[in-house]
Amino acid sequence: MAGQRTRKLKVIGKTKVADVLKKLGLARETVAVKLNGKIAPEEETVKDKDKLEVLLVVTGG
Amino acid sequence: MLRCSLCGRQAAYNRRYAGVLLCDRCLVKSVERKFRRSVAEHSLISPSEKIAVAVSGGKDSVSCMHMLADYCGKKNCELVAITVDEGVKGYRGESVRIARENTELLGVPHFVVSFKQAFGVTLDEMVRIAEKKKTGFGPCTYCGVMRRSLLNQAARELGAQKLATAHNLDDEVQTIMLNYIRADFSRLYRLGPAYPAREGFVPRIKPLREVPEKEMALYALLKKINVHLGVCPYAGGIHSEIRDFINRLEENHTNSKFMMLRMFDRMKPQLLGAVPEFDMKKCERCGEPTSSESCKACELLEGLGFAKSVDLKLIPPAHF
Repeated sequence: MAGQRTRKLKVIGKTKVADVLKKLGLARETVAVKLNGKIAPEEETVKDKDKLEVLLVVTGG
Repeated sequence: MLRCSLCGRQAAYNRRYAGVLLCDRCLVKSVERKFRRSVAEHSLISPSEKIAVAVSGGKDSVSCMHMLADYCGKKNCELVAITVDEGVKGYRGESVRIARENTELLGVPHFVVSFKQAFGVTLDEMVRIAEKKKTGFGPCTYCGVMRRSLLNQAARELGAQKLATAHNLDDEVQTIMLNYIRADFSRLYRLGPAYPAREGFVPRIKPLREVPEKEMALYALLKKINVHLGVCPYAGGIHSEIRDFINRLEENHTNSKFMMLRMFDRMKPQLLGAVPEFDMKKCERCGEPTSSESCKACELLEGLGFAKSVDLKLIPPAHF
């Protein structure tokens, strides 16, 4: 996808997808997330070495 | 792992406003059910009607066309797709290609009408001239007015009884708020799941009015529908501010979007008669329906130094 960027983040303890989005400054209403290749709710827990993809789906225009 | 509240499979989405977790299958089914419920509750489509759907190539309109194709097949309705090419360099070309790809996949006749062909000027050119002439109108005004005009004309020329647009819950709530902010009572008053038939206008229907934008995106992703996710270079201004504000509100106060829609729908019948009915006239320049002497599209074009000259050339692709 155009404009793709990759960032590595350290997660400590029980971190949820929603916490990661907050850290990235993204509103949950505007994104879809894939956790290890599967679309997942923001309440899912992220563990070390997990791959989280964030797709901007509410872009306006 | 979180599980679907309905079937126990792995959850894909937390529908916070309803307090349920949904798996991929249950989410897709639920979005399609919302579509069918809107169509049935508001009698948006009658059997054997010809329906035109506005398809930009984006997630909402392409998904809407997929749902309509399925529905129309079952109800013996005829479906045609209309794409408006506004002429936005680096943006619209790709979305028109994706719209075409989806119509071919579904076997839906597809008609592309362009600003350049109809008005002799692209949106990019309109924006440049407007800036030079200091007309005070932004890109979204030109785009919205001209696009609505072209869609109506194309749908009417194609003999469609309804024109379906893919406005979702977010679009509807944002428009309600925008009309409040602009104190535009007559536009606010007209909002709803369907616009009544008036001479010269093909009634517009919005079967996705109760589906949040995020669910539309997830639907397209889960159904693996090829959609355009590009950002319009003209996006911004008050529309974006309202969208960001409402999304922040929803994040902190779940169900705000639906509450705003429900409140508006409850208020609407109380407003009956508050706006005086007006007679439909024909625009003295182009003949399109209007409430005043000339239509908004002609007024805007005149301000840019162009005369409205519509040449739709609605020729279906060779294989239809």
